[in-house]
Formats: sequence, C-alpha cells, structure tokens
Amino acid sequence: MIYADNAATTKLDMDAFEAMKPFLLEEYANPSQPYSFSRKAKKALKDARKTIAECIHAEPEEIFFTSGGTESNNWAIKNYTVSSDIHHVITSAIEHHSVLNACKNPYFGHFMIPVDNYGTVKAEELIKILERPREAVASCESTLVSVMMANNEIGTIQPVRELAEIAHAHGAWFHTDAVQAVGHIPIDVKAMGIDMLSASAHKFNGPKGIGFLYSKNGLLQPFHNGGSQESGMRAGTENVPAIVGMAVALKKNIAQMKQNTVHLSKLTEIFLSVLHQADIDFILNGQPTDRLPGNINISIKGKSGEGLMHLLDLKGICISTGSACDSVNQQISHVIKAIHVPDNYAEGTIRITFGKENTEQEVLKIANIFIKIANI
Amino acid sequence: MKKIECIACGEKNLSKNTIGINKKLLGTDIKNFYCMDCLADYLEITVDDLLEKIEEFKEEGCTLFS
Repeated sequence: MIYADNAATTKLDMDAFEAMKPFLLEEYANPSQPYSFSRKAKKALKDARKTIAECIHAEPEEIFFTSGGTESNNWAIKNYTVSSDIHHVITSAIEHHSVLNACKNPYFGHFMIPVDNYGTVKAEELIKILERPREAVASCESTLVSVMMANNEIGTIQPVRELAEIAHAHGAWFHTDAVQAVGHIPIDVKAMGIDMLSASAHKFNGPKGIGFLYSKNGLLQPFHNGGSQESGMRAGTENVPAIVGMAVALKKNIAQMKQNTVHLSKLTEIFLSVLHQADIDFILNGQPTDRLPGNINISIKGKSGEGLMHLLDLKGICISTGSACDSVNQQISHVIKAIHVPDNYAEGTIRITFGKENTEQEVLKIANIFIKIANI
Repeated sequence: MKKIECIACGEKNLSKNTIGINKKLLGTDIKNFYCMDCLADYLEITVDDLLEKIEEFKEEGCTLFS
C-alpha cells in the first residue's frame, strides 16, 4: 500500500508515540488532583503547552487544548467574545465545512469572500465586504474574519498577514483555520496579526482526537461548562497522552520543516513532470507557487475523479477526490466550484498529498499507474 | 428495456450491479460495458476486488447498485 493522502491524516510519529506511552500506562493520574502522583501529568501538560506556544510564537496561556480542528473552528466562530449581541462572520468561500457550517446560525450574519481562480482571497474583496454600509454589516466590533491559512483541497496559502491587518483596520477580529498549515509552513501568530488559530495534531504526525486553539486573552467565551481545566474555558479531564504526543510531533515537524519542504517539493515536481511527459490533459488547481508542499490537486479532462480514486485504491494507492457521483447526483466540491474549474475537467478532480515518508520510488509508481488508469 | 451486453465477451443481460461498477469506475457517461470477469481482466484486478467495492458502494447508499 502507498499512502498519499496526507492532507486527510498523517502517520503517527514514532517519537510522539513513545512520549505518549508512559502517560497511557504508568503516569495515568488526573492532572487536576492535588496528590504527588499527578505531578508528572501536570508537568507534562505545562511543558506541552509551552512547547506548542513556542512553535507558533504564542504565549502558553494563549493555547487551549481541544479535540481537534473541527472543535477549534466551532469554538472560535460560535464563542468569540463581542460587546454587541449581533455577530457577523466573514469567511472565504473555500473554508472547511467546520467553518462554513459553524456560520449557519440564525443569529449570525455570514458574508463570503469570493476567491480568484487560484483560490486566493484578494485583499480588495475583503475590504469591499468590511466597508459595506453599517446597515448591512452592523458594528465592526462584532465582526470576525475567518480565512484559512492554507486550503485543504488545493493547498493555496492565503496572505494571512495582509488580511489580518485589513480586518484589524476595520475593527474586526481575525481567526485562521491553520489545520493544514501548522507543522508544515512557518507560523508566527504575533507577526502575522492572528487573534485566533485552529490546529489539529493528526495533520502533523500527532495523534487523532487532539488539537488546539490559540486565542489572545479575553477573546473567547468558554466552550462548555464544568471544571476549571483549561483556565475554565474548556472543562473536562485533559487527554494528557495525546497532548504530550501532539507537542512532540509538532516540535519535530517544525525542526525538520526545511528538509521536509525540499523533499516534498521534489516529489511534487517528479510527479507532475511524469504526467506532462505522458501528455495527460490536466489542470493543476491552486496557487502554483504559494501552496502547501506536497499538495497536488489536478483535474483531468473527461475523467471521473471518483473512478480514478477507486481504481488507484484497487492498485493499493490511497489518494482523495474532489468529486463524487451516483446515478442521481454529481457533487463537485465547493472549492473546485469556487475556483471555476471548467465543467469538462471538474468531475475529474483528484488530490494527492505526499508526506515526509513518501519516497521518489513511490511517487514514480503512483505516476505510472495513474497514467495507465487515466488512459483507460 | 434495452439489454446490455459485455463489449468484450458478449455476455448478455448484465446485472444492475455490473453496470453500476462499470459506471462507478469508468465514468457515469460510458456507453459500453464489461461483464465482471472482463472488467476485472481489463483493470488487471480480481472479481473479488470488484465485489468488495460493490458492497462498499451499497453500504454508502450509492444508487447505482441494487
């Protein structure tokens, strides 16, 4: 089996696993208890929070552990603190469903920023929405701009620093869903002007079911009620082993980021050059240069992306698709629609996301099988 | 109703599941179909592979299958 769907999830890092083990088996104490058995668990939580904060240039008290990206996004959007009782959320049209669906709330005004054909949010489009008459947008003090740092389907990296600056200039807060970006591209929340940031450990070789939300002090309401964990913001006994694993995986990925980027860029180049040499008629979706390393999203003319994905699966290769269909429905992803991929290509959309463990030999094997299948 | 036969071996009266797996893997707008044996040969996989896929698609509620 060759796994090339690292945007969906990644393999757990062995060092992260080893770091987790003692907290699953021996040091299983509840970190909130006052006895000495809890000391190691308590210290592990503190250390993990500090490590994670350092990885994104935040302060430890600004890191809140969550169950993952979906919870972090929901928390940021539904529970950001405002003085007004009217909430307005401005998102891009290509956000993850955990952002878009969180905005489906009768008490929210939801405005969507269109993207260009590369999936990039243009500053002027955000300004247009922020400068609408107050009757339409109400008070800017109640406005949250949420734009993902990098798109999960097409890999386009957004100009977050510029967008955050514009949001602040209009009195709005800025949240970014950085689930695909954390551990893969450099992030400095302070320099980038980010008020809230969502992350998920299993996207950077950490365990599943754990993530974090970075939030500047005072921006959030509690996620739910109960004990005093996470400074009273997210009650419930902490998942210490997963938190420890997340910190180890993130630190390691950041330490290896440059070499991973070089490796993944080379794999991408090899794959695309083999496809070009074979005269496959395809479009590379997403921003050609400002994109996540290892992300290849292509639309093949006259093909079924879903069919290609299943055929590759039958050959032991795991990738993803941007369309699905049955006898009744043809479902093209909202991202592929938003970037206006021509109809005769859109149905043939697939996503290949290489990870640091993929080899050149694997990439060549995928490319050669893919060419054979694409010519069926 | 028009009877659909295998383009390779001529087997007649292909089942809904056979037509469904052809469409699912090769595209919903295909005009020619293979029987299970010929489709497996064509794709260089086994009939069991195809049957497993059909069961998965059915469980997902895909309307191409009975």
